[in-house]
Amino acid sequence: MTRRGTARVEGYALLAALLLVAALALRRPELAIAAAPFALVLAAGTTLTRDPRLQAALLPAASRTLEGDPVEAALTLESSVPVGRLEVFLELPAGVEVAEGSPAFALSLAPGEEQEIPLLLRCTRWGVFDVGKVELRATDLLRFVTWERRLSEPRTLKAYPRLEQTRHVVSALETQVYAGNEVARHPGDGIEYADLRDFVPGDRVRSINWRASARRQGLIVNERHPERNTDVVILVDSFVDLGADQRSTLDDTVRAAAALASRYLERRDRVGLVGYGGILRWLRPGMGAAQRYRLIETLLETGVEPTFTWRDANLIPARILAPKALVVALTSLVDPRFVTMLEDLRARRFDLVVVEIEPSGLVRPGPGRTAALAHRLWLLERDVLRMRLAGAGIAVGRWGDETSLEEALEEVRTFRRYARRARV
Amino acid sequence: MPLARAGSGVAHAELRIAVVAVAGLVVILALGLPSFVPAPFVVIAGLYGAQLTVDDVPLDVAAPAFAAGLVVGVELAYWSLDLRDRVKGAPGDELRRLAYVAALGVLALVVSAVLLALVDAISARGLGVDVLGAVAAACALLAVVLFARGRGPTED
Repeated sequence: MTRRGTARVEGYALLAALLLVAALALRRPELAIAAAPFALVLAAGTTLTRDPRLQAALLPAASRTLEGDPVEAALTLESSVPVGRLEVFLELPAGVEVAEGSPAFALSLAPGEEQEIPLLLRCTRWGVFDVGKVELRATDLLRFVTWERRLSEPRTLKAYPRLEQTRHVVSALETQVYAGNEVARHPGDGIEYADLRDFVPGDRVRSINWRASARRQGLIVNERHPERNTDVVILVDSFVDLGADQRSTLDDTVRAAAALASRYLERRDRVGLVGYGGILRWLRPGMGAAQRYRLIETLLETGVEPTFTWRDANLIPARILAPKALVVALTSLVDPRFVTMLEDLRARRFDLVVVEIEPSGLVRPGPGRTAALAHRLWLLERDVLRMRLAGAGIAVGRWGDETSLEEALEEVRTFRRYARRARV
Repeated sequence: MPLARAGSGVAHAELRIAVVAVAGLVVILALGLPSFVPAPFVVIAGLYGAQLTVDDVPLDVAAPAFAAGLVVGVELAYWSLDLRDRVKGAPGDELRRLAYVAALGVLALVVSAVLLALVDAISARGLGVDVLGAVAAACALLAVVLFARGRGPTED
């Protein structure tokens, strides 16, 4: 705790001293009498005060919340001596704010009294936040001395990203062996009708199509598609983050990743995660509610770590990018290292789709004709890049200010339908 | 108070000085300079002392009122500086502060009156003034030293 004198101490001491000097110089006791109250109050204010031994703790009611939702918290304050004015500053990290009121306020404390102040916090973006930092400044009753104390007890508050609404997701070209909601391309035991074929020994009687058999000379059986699950790997680009305080490409990337992961897990698919940027993070594909929490917790650690090293797809462990897995890349298509890695994955015959987190709405052209021209060139280069990826067979859907994530996914699905027909 | 007592010639000069002092206080408060708050009050006290010397009265009975006015004026000046603080206080904070300033004024009045009576009882001139001044100076010095000793950072 740091003890300081207020400006009043200097003022009172100066006035008392000058009045006394004037009293001696002019030989007028009235000036000494005028100095006496200043000296008396100054002496009382500086000697009779005691350190308040302040205690404070900020306790959120929950350790997890959803981005944008309010969280109740309680600030507990206690002092051993009376405090005339206690100023409280909540040092909230960027992304957390006080939903109602101000993060700085003042109150008075009685000795030994424990005051609990209810607060309402709100996380304006997803992330892991430490909300335990509180700065206190106490002033004594006579306002001559202040004590400052900075309390920093780690109180972690995790804000999960708000999920974007998606009704349909992109289906993988190949399915896995486990049961799921995706209709497999190959025939087998299932519900979805696939084709007719001749009866062979071993076929179940219930699969015989009697109506088709009656029209032909032999027994005909129905073939069906089995319902299987798929492996999905969500590839998050964390090389760059473009944007302002309200919105950034990385924020949207994480929101989209969380929404897609939740949607795929609802379909009983196995979902894995690769955070590809300055730091490579990955999570092995898995399914179920526990995997959903693991994914989101891993996503919360996503941040831009500056690096100048060139990275490629060889860095990603092979067990993460399983064969036949659908790779959904979420990227702003700004860093060339990520684009090269996408082309590398496609060259290795991975089933790859790209959801572009459109940054053009966040990047404004600078003043002047040259800057405007540079901005136009940059936009044209992005168009060329998209065409290059489409030429390589990579579906690109754009999610930006004017389009929703659902529309971006529909763009990808449309491309994949069109590309398959083109191959035929 | 000095202006009320002064003759017309001296009053004009004192009035100008007082106006300058008040204007200086306004500037200090507007700029938020707490270190300079005592300066205008020192000037006003100087006017009071000069007027007492010119009048050469044995003992001014209005000294307690002047002392109380000075204390209240200084406190109001610091209060106005504190109001610049953006941190919002608790409800009723202003009333408590007002009561504090009023109590300080009353205290200054009482202390000054007691001292005045004491000085009057001893003597208006001679050794009494010197002894009183020396004791008061020693008290002020002691207070400053005591504060300076406890001013540094302290650990819990």
